Amino acid sequence: MMVLTWLAYALLVAGALFYLAGTVGLLRFPDALSRLHALTKADNVGLLLICLGLGILSQSPRQALLLLLIWLLALTAATVSAHLIARRALEDSAEGRSALNDLSGEPGP
Amino acid sequence: MSLVIDLVLAISLVVLAWQTLIGRSLFRGLVMFVVFGLTLAMIWARLGSPDLAMAEAAIGTGVTGAMLMVAYWRLRRAVPEAAEERVPRRPLLAATIGVLAAVLVAAIGLTTLSVLGPGGVAGYALAEALPETGLGNPITGVLVVFRNLDTLLEVAVLLAAYVGARAAMGEDSAALPLPPAQDAPLVGALVAVLVPLGLLVALYLFKAGSQDPGGAFQAGAMLAALAVVLMLAGRLRPAPEPGVWMGFALIVGTAVFSLIGVAVMAWGQPLLAIPGMWAVYVIEAAMMVSIGVTLALLFSGSAGLGVRSRS
Repeated sequence: MMVLTWLAYALLVAGALFYLAGTVGLLRFPDALSRLHALTKADNVGLLLICLGLGILSQSPRQALLLLLIWLLALTAATVSAHLIARRALEDSAEGRSALNDLSGEPGP
Repeated sequence: MSLVIDLVLAISLVVLAWQTLIGRSLFRGLVMFVVFGLTLAMIWARLGSPDLAMAEAAIGTGVTGAMLMVAYWRLRRAVPEAAEERVPRRPLLAATIGVLAAVLVAAIGLTTLSVLGPGGVAGYALAEALPETGLGNPITGVLVVFRNLDTLLEVAVLLAAYVGARAAMGEDSAALPLPPAQDAPLVGALVAVLVPLGLLVALYLFKAGSQDPGGAFQAGAMLAALAVVLMLAGRLRPAPEPGVWMGFALIVGTAVFSLIGVAVMAWGQPLLAIPGMWAVYVIEAAMMVSIGVTLALLFSGSAGLGVRSRS
């Protein structure tokens, strides 16, 4: 049981690291597409690791299964919204606008 | 450890509220508002109030956030300059209001602390009276049985909001455009997954509401969220008239609640007495439908909704 607990903590820390990296990427990367690239890693892998860690800690197959379902749902929603944002960013950059690249509040050109 | 988490949440909430207000662009303010609402929902959850957490996340953040976003989208189309305009900063005004609000919160908090005592608080009376109703969730007990006049009026206020919005729309109520439907194949797949799942969640919340966290407001917000997804995916479109069924759905909450509340007087009960568990379920179901449809129509900014004809 001890080993499993440590494994769960390791998974939680790894998941948190993914979220940290994703957040840094979201804040520091230059344009919408690379920001999405950073964000989706946190969403997919980070959430999976955290759900796995919590599932092990809960010691109940039912809770673990529920967490896994939550991950699947978040994965589906994140995939589609990232796809839509990316498509919009692509259209915008084709038209020379940069509304999505710009959350700083500066009016676009 | 949990104190650290609570402190981080509390400080984040204040910072996010500040950021929502001083955001120099409207869009940034909207995004901050949504994050603010989610943080508030987490705080409610940590305070052991899952009902409030769900209501805040679903209505205060989800549906309201979607309404604000679609309003921003329309503003950008109608008056592009207004949408890009920098929000002027009024630090003196903000500081004054902030200090006054803090004083108010502190005063209420201190008063509550001194009031807390055995027997003096409604919570104890509620805990004693709740088993008689057969309900397990004290929130639903308060909303439907003990303070149900408030709830009835809340549903009536929603109806009034719809009537007011419809009056503001004028004659051509389907004129407000929605963002163009995204016809990407992934969107269809997401809708196919989300809508049945969301219906399931809404029905579960409704059913669970009598014993566990949940209830008509959370379930209704879930239904409205589904309608928003369907509108954004182009499956539903604004219609100039609500039609018979949608008109019925708009008023059924207020109507059923009032009818049952008045009908019990024929049996010598006081006004708005709840005759039994069946009445709780009937009222909650009617409210769920009304709340869902009203919120969806407020989002679409139209008098009614129709299924998009396949072209």
